[in-house]
Amino acid sequence: MPPKFQIDEEDNRLAEAINREARSDPSSPYAGKYVAIAGGKVVAAGERIEDVLAAMEKAVPDRHRGLVIEASADYEGPHEIWTFER
Amino acid sequence: MSRVTWSLNRGRPAIEIELVVPGSPFVEKRLLLADTGAGRNAAPFEMLLDEEDCLTSASRSAGLVRLAGAYSGEFRSYFVEVRLPRLDYSAVTTVVGIPRPPLGFDGIAAFKFLNRFRYGNFGQPEQFGLEPLAGPTD
Repeated sequence: MPPKFQIDEEDNRLAEAINREARSDPSSPYAGKYVAIAGGKVVAAGERIEDVLAAMEKAVPDRHRGLVIEASADYEGPHEIWTFER
Repeated sequence: MSRVTWSLNRGRPAIEIELVVPGSPFVEKRLLLADTGAGRNAAPFEMLLDEEDCLTSASRSAGLVRLAGAYSGEFRSYFVEVRLPRLDYSAVTTVVGIPRPPLGFDGIAAFKFLNRFRYGNFGQPEQFGLEPLAGPTD
């Protein structure tokens, strides 16, 4: 099994807070953007995922650390998956 | 751009993708169930893949996604570069890691991904295919 990604709890909390803010307030600076988070801080934000991932790679080269969210996305859903034959 | 078709797998629609492995010249081929019933067009993911494939291929972690139905609970999503070489398609794609893909498949291509293309059997009942939205009409 490849090594797991290590997402710090403070990064998860910040991601959730930014997601809530962007979804409830269209004037949020993060609304409609991808936001890179590591070490409890926002590392980069932008409209193109490729640019944000590149900025994240420069700031935090280890791909197993930190996370990038789509700030205005509905992560909470729930999103239904109808495939039941497993 | 030409249409690409695949034979049905276990009688179900399938597509084959390539996963780019970060820091490696290699790609991994994976067979996915083409499932328009997987998520909405506004879902924060385009595919569901075995968690192990996500750990190997992801360039970075994304958010936790809450799923219901066949997979229930919160699952980590990831950014993975996905290619369909015969369609000249390559894109950073948000993929949810799941513990157990559908039997006979490596994962699921969700509606949001399929909806990037024209999709269907294109008059061949034993095939499933994709073609670019700007491609030729039937």
